[in-house]
Amino acid sequence: MSGDGASEQARSRFQAELEFIQCLANPNYLNFLAQRGYLRERPFINYLKYLLYWKEPEYAKFLKYPHCLHMLELLQYEHFRKELVNAQCTKFIDEQQLLHWQHYSRKRTRLQQALAEQAPQQQPTQQHGNATAK
Amino acid sequence: MATAAEKSTKERLVSVLDDLEVLSRELIEMLALSRTQKLPQPGEDVQILEVLVQRDREFQELMAVAQSQGKLHEEMQRLEKEVEKRDSDIQQLQKQLKEAEHILATAVYQAKEKLKSIDKARKGSVLSEELIKYAHRISASNAVCAPLNWVPGDPRRPYPTDLEMRSGMLGLMANLPSNGVNGHLPGDALAAGRLPDVLTPHYPWQSSDVSVGMLPPHHGSDLGLEPPGHNKENEEDVENMSTDSSSSSSDSD
Repeated sequence: MSGDGASEQARSRFQAELEFIQCLANPNYLNFLAQRGYLRERPFINYLKYLLYWKEPEYAKFLKYPHCLHMLELLQYEHFRKELVNAQCTKFIDEQQLLHWQHYSRKRTRLQQALAEQAPQQQPTQQHGNATAK
Repeated sequence: MATAAEKSTKERLVSVLDDLEVLSRELIEMLALSRTQKLPQPGEDVQILEVLVQRDREFQELMAVAQSQGKLHEEMQRLEKEVEKRDSDIQQLQKQLKEAEHILATAVYQAKEKLKSIDKARKGSVLSEELIKYAHRISASNAVCAPLNWVPGDPRRPYPTDLEMRSGMLGLMANLPSNGVNGHLPGDALAAGRLPDVLTPHYPWQSSDVSVGMLPPHHGSDLGLEPPGHNKENEEDVENMSTDSSSSSSDSD
């Protein structure tokens, strides 16, 4: 029974830490933490350092929002933690994060458009080919 | 050294030559004199002749010695040249050995680096299956790439939104007396995002049975190893509405 209790504890700790680390991907949450002074507390800073174990592949594979790892790395630096108190700073981070997030989809839509432009040129030849095949 | 005490061959030769010169001059003088007058000493010319002959013999001997010394000297020079040649050979060999050592050291170093990188690569190897699965998971949920139809105003984000944070395990833990808008929660390090249970029914998205009903099985079940976003994805699909007045996911931009 005690063994189960310990593993149950370990499971819930795992889940709690998994959720918490992914919350760090949210710049608004970081601003929230900064403004309440959590980022200045030594225990919290040590906790952030402890969370670096999520970078290992066997743990990282559970992360759904990988941006959190980058944020975690940046949070190791005091200068970054100090800057997060500023709402403008986090707004900027949020904007940049969104733009980066959209980067791939923009690239893909551009590619699709390029393909779409090529397609009409190919269609007439295809139809011609079909006609002759029949 | 012994040579310092003895006269050198050159000096002896020179002195013998001088003697010969003196003696022959005397002899010639005597012969010149003997034309006009009788010899004062009868046997002197014979004496001088004898001495002359002796000196000549010495001269010949010294010449022979000088010749043999010359030969020795030549031999010495030849041997010196030989020694020089051997010296330069040894130096050449030394240079080549040094070069070889350098090249080998470089080769060994590079081989070690290669081995290190092989070890590193082997350590970091991931099954391609797993990589593909992971890539699929993070892309399918739009966590790293925006959905193609995303416009400003869409509440979806590359990070867990307020909604998701509150409905996760951390969000449901513990009771807090105060109101739970994102800006005003007191508490300890993990407190952010926690919502008092008493207030959960007040939120429109909590009242929908789908969200509340979905949570327990995912949290309590299997090994709790499902990423927190897993059930949130379901929520998101169900209620794609803007969240409350919290600062995140604002429409202001």
